[in-house]
Amino acid sequence: MLLAINTADARPIYVQIMDEVRRGLVLGTLKPEDALPSVRQLAADLRVNPNTVAQAYRELEREGVVYVRRGQGTFITDASTNGTERRALARGVAERALVDAHRNGIGADELVDAIREVADTHTKGDS
Amino acid sequence: MASVLPTHLGDGPFAVATQALNKRFGRDTALAGVDLQVPEGAVYVLVGPNGAGKTTTLRTLLDLVRADSGTAEVFGMNPRTNGPSVRAQVGYVPERHDWGYGWMRVGRLLEHHATYFPTWDRDYAERLARAFDLRLDRKFGKLSKGQARRVQLAMALAHRPRLLILDEPTDGLDPVMRDETLGLLVEHITETPTTVLISTHLVHEVDRLADHLGVMRDGKLTAQLRRDELHRMLRRYRADVPEGWSGVPGLNGTVVRRSGIGREIQWSVWGEEAEVTRHLVSAGATVRDAAPLTLEDAAIALLSRKD
Repeated sequence: MLLAINTADARPIYVQIMDEVRRGLVLGTLKPEDALPSVRQLAADLRVNPNTVAQAYRELEREGVVYVRRGQGTFITDASTNGTERRALARGVAERALVDAHRNGIGADELVDAIREVADTHTKGDS
Repeated sequence: MASVLPTHLGDGPFAVATQALNKRFGRDTALAGVDLQVPEGAVYVLVGPNGAGKTTTLRTLLDLVRADSGTAEVFGMNPRTNGPSVRAQVGYVPERHDWGYGWMRVGRLLEHHATYFPTWDRDYAERLARAFDLRLDRKFGKLSKGQARRVQLAMALAHRPRLLILDEPTDGLDPVMRDETLGLLVEHITETPTTVLISTHLVHEVDRLADHLGVMRDGKLTAQLRRDELHRMLRRYRADVPEGWSGVPGLNGTVVRRSGIGREIQWSVWGEEAEVTRHLVSAGATVRDAAPLTLEDAAIALLSRKD
């Protein structure tokens, strides 16, 4: 699993780590009972404060996405395949798009229409 | 403007706590009432322009500079009366590269340094020397800025101190070595419980590490706070404002930075988002966006604040 974070992103780093784990679940690169990298490993890889990684793991555990096996590490739970993560991820994307639309003076309906339009063009382009 | 920005962190335990530090060099005021508070286990980043007093503050903690008044405590000890005990617990990277014994070869310098620190970890020192690609047979005084920096970093880390005081630690390092240094620093603080106090004007480099921020200007700490508080309370608002807009009386003293074009304003404001938005709306603005700032943008906003 490849986790990428971006300091120019307005989301706090621990949220970005959580979203990356969710993304892995949605894409299928992370499956139930897969181990997450250790806090130390991930912190060193991302050059991130270990407390930030620990915070992300704690929040994921609270949400039931991962569980901790004492002395062995952090693992993906069985329950995290049921579409909840997919929905959470989609909502996050939608929220960011809405904020961006609002900043540009565009309403939600207008945005949804525009997304449909663009998606249609893409599908046509693909065929 | 009466500052709304927090300058004190409240309850400890603090690895470093100073009270009302004042220092003058001749007619120049270097420190004017500095209350630095670094919680134990924090990665505290001290930012400020050159000459703001960052280096003087750090040097006071090691009794390398003596304040004219005020007190400093490092792990509850006064550096002034307990200098050696304090320094034994601190890994220090000084601002200057040409510090120390220029005539010594790097290997000898490390040996020499080790004798001062009972906690010197020989294996770790060797590991650091390899990671930093140190040339042990070279004379310290003949090293380039970046090479000298790496030696200093190895010396600071190898005795696994409780507190690291790093004054512009990545100064002189090339981008690859800078990245590796940050990686080593992260590994270090994960393996060894350490409080880290970093002074820098390259905030983006330590963006992923910092959990506390101190902003220094003209010898004063104008803001000192936890990072999560910073991101929650300091936000950039984009709003459309009506013709003849005359500002928001309710936000007096909380606007850290103003900019904008035409009828769009972009303000960085300190306060709860709901409350700030309410003030903007009641003054006739349409708020388009309220977003947290990156650490670097926040530091720039706080540093460029007009009083």
